[in-house]
Amino acid sequence: MTVIDQRSFYRPVSIAPLITFRITFGVLMLFSLLRFWWRGWITSLYVEPHFHFTYPGLEWVQPLGNVGMHLLFALLITSTVLIILGCFYRMAILFFFLAFTYVELIDASAYLNHYYFISLVAFIMVFLPANGAYALDVYWRITPRKPLVPAWTIDILRFQLAIVYVFAGLAKLNPDWLIHAEPMKTWLPAKSHLPIVGPWMYETWVAYLFSWFGTMYDLFIVFFLLNKKTRLIAYGFVLVFHLATALFFPGIGMFPYVMITSSLIFFSAAFHAKLLSFLPGVKLQATATHEGTAPVFARKKILSLGIALYVTLQLLIPLRFLLYPGHLFWTEQGYRFSWRVMLMEKSGAAYFTVKDKSGSQVYEVDNKKFLTPLQEKMMSTQPDMILQYAHHLAKSYQQTGLEDPQVYAEVYVSLNGDRSKPFVDSSVNLAAQKSTWKPIPWILPYKK
Amino acid sequence: MKKDFQLKLAGLLLMTALLAFTCGKEGNDDGSNPGSTDAFKSAMLVNYADNLIVPAYTDLNNKLGALNSSVNAFLAAPSELTLAATREPFKAAYLSFQGVSVLYFGPASAQLLNNYINTFPTVPTRIEKGIETGTYNFNIPQNSDSIQGFPALDYLLYAPDAVNKFSGVGAAKRKKYVQDVLVRMKTLVENTLSQWNGPYHHTFIASLKTDVGSSIGSLVNQFAYEMDALKGPRIGWPFGKQSNGIVFADKCEGYYSGISAELAIANLSSLKNYYTGANGDGIADYLVLLKKQDLNNAVLAQFDLTLAALNAIPKPLSAAFVNNPALVEDAYKQVQKLLTLIKTDLASATAVQITYQDNDGD
Repeated sequence: MTVIDQRSFYRPVSIAPLITFRITFGVLMLFSLLRFWWRGWITSLYVEPHFHFTYPGLEWVQPLGNVGMHLLFALLITSTVLIILGCFYRMAILFFFLAFTYVELIDASAYLNHYYFISLVAFIMVFLPANGAYALDVYWRITPRKPLVPAWTIDILRFQLAIVYVFAGLAKLNPDWLIHAEPMKTWLPAKSHLPIVGPWMYETWVAYLFSWFGTMYDLFIVFFLLNKKTRLIAYGFVLVFHLATALFFPGIGMFPYVMITSSLIFFSAAFHAKLLSFLPGVKLQATATHEGTAPVFARKKILSLGIALYVTLQLLIPLRFLLYPGHLFWTEQGYRFSWRVMLMEKSGAAYFTVKDKSGSQVYEVDNKKFLTPLQEKMMSTQPDMILQYAHHLAKSYQQTGLEDPQVYAEVYVSLNGDRSKPFVDSSVNLAAQKSTWKPIPWILPYKK
Repeated sequence: MKKDFQLKLAGLLLMTALLAFTCGKEGNDDGSNPGSTDAFKSAMLVNYADNLIVPAYTDLNNKLGALNSSVNAFLAAPSELTLAATREPFKAAYLSFQGVSVLYFGPASAQLLNNYINTFPTVPTRIEKGIETGTYNFNIPQNSDSIQGFPALDYLLYAPDAVNKFSGVGAAKRKKYVQDVLVRMKTLVENTLSQWNGPYHHTFIASLKTDVGSSIGSLVNQFAYEMDALKGPRIGWPFGKQSNGIVFADKCEGYYSGISAELAIANLSSLKNYYTGANGDGIADYLVLLKKQDLNNAVLAQFDLTLAALNAIPKPLSAAFVNNPALVEDAYKQVQKLLTLIKTDLASATAVQITYQDNDGD
């Protein structure tokens, strides 16, 4: 851990980038949530399922029912409007962070990297004085005007973006991605409907181009964005890259737009001041001209410590996969929360059998009775969910009168264009297996 | 100066982004794409529509017409002879339905065709109650308690004393029920066919994507869905797979007419036909185009193994559950293997998500 240079870290800088960030974040989240509602996903993800895949230690996080979930989303949507307006900002962003994170923690099968990103950014924003200018809070004198903010408030957001990009790039440094151009080779022919570029989608070299360009982009874009000389060109690449991903893979939803707007944080205060000047009634100073106006910060030590802890965690969490043996894409131990975005093509078929204590009674399970199609799909390739589901089955069958149910799974998984292979040891009674952070012994070894 | 330029450029780029965002959203939801260029996929979908799907619905429509005539003749003059004359048309129409069962998307799905005309098993008590009271609503989607469609006809026409039940003064209500069932089946199939001959034809052949709701996406998903149905409701559940080996023979498709095995075989044969595209290009040829010849061979071989295993079961299936469980078990295992190939290998190779649910992913 490098020691943070206190002087530069706390030096006063213009608040302008934070204002852009606050407004664009609020607008995107507003759209995102409305879209989520409009597509019926509140119901299909959080109302219809009888069972939810939880995170370890967070089994108590359960949905609020039909009315409750919709009410929560209505409040979330309200909070995004408050964030945009800078109105009761701290309360609004705190609520947004808590409520959004709560929703994400309800069901692990709904996990998306960019939801995780949004939770993290919202968490950071709770501590940022992003309502220090061009905000109703200032207008109503709820909070004093703060033309200047300490540099860390902007640097921490840049750091968070750097984490996303660099780890996404590092994740691509694997033989499947670079040498076999998988999963691009599999995914691109499905995009042959696109105008102009369509016919090229069957070409192998195009898959390699996409793979290698994506890797280089993710690994290095942050450094070009940080450098003043290359920033504008780099942002052009940000636009091209993310719009291309939006066009080619519409299934990734809001992610490209989140990255496109978030990456604006790399621009200078002067840029943001001018950008914001298009909005009515904006008066922002671009540079810290008066040393005397620099804000005074209490509890610097606690803050520095907190930031150091956060940074360390962000650096370590994506690397935890190194603690596990076996092929990461196969076992997925340490896969989530690590910025592995659009990294592999994996699909599975899972068949479960429940037996009584003695094994004389045998029941095959109809997954449709217990899981939604999305849940079944996610569970079929992820061992921790297979185990959770097995435990749920044991409990359900016990309630119907089966004594000490045993649960066996026959699972087949196809990874990155390989033929499907047995995934877990079908002779292991999963009901007796505990959820663990340790390497999962009943996953069969990966064979290419 | 330089700053101004920077700003303008950035503004322009942001506008582009917003524009692309809005356009992207608009183009997202229907599967069609006017600027598309993939001649192979286009030709494949035309082959599906013109040489497989429309002929299959036309055939079902014709067979239902023939069934309707023979049943009406029976209802007009109930006798063993007229009843016997309904046997072949019933079987032919039910088998013909297996040729469209996999097409449960687009027009069929919009009308809940499969749900209404082939949800099995039936609940005889509910049918009898409907006949008795003369009140029944065929417009409520069926869960697992069908009172209409082929399963209802199967129960009514193959009752042990059918001639007796349809004769005499008290039979008027029963006759009306049968006629109502038939009229509804015909209407639903006619509507589906006319949509396939109408605007949906273009929608289908112009949809070259593979996402949820696209033509290729729907076909592959329905392959998996039908295999799932073969594994569960058609064979596995009546065989007792869900019920600790306790056989529920009367839960078979076509239990009363005793043609369950024939129906299952017709279903799978038709599925294979759709997979290969018959005489034109199909998903099988698409796999070859994707250089997945090995996978294609494996799928074709598994189709044949599964068909052979189904054919090896002595008929009727309902009796074989008890008398030849080993043969049924073997067929069941082959079905599961084919399902796995379709759900994992084939879905992955064609970049189709096996999910009947719309969602984001990353």
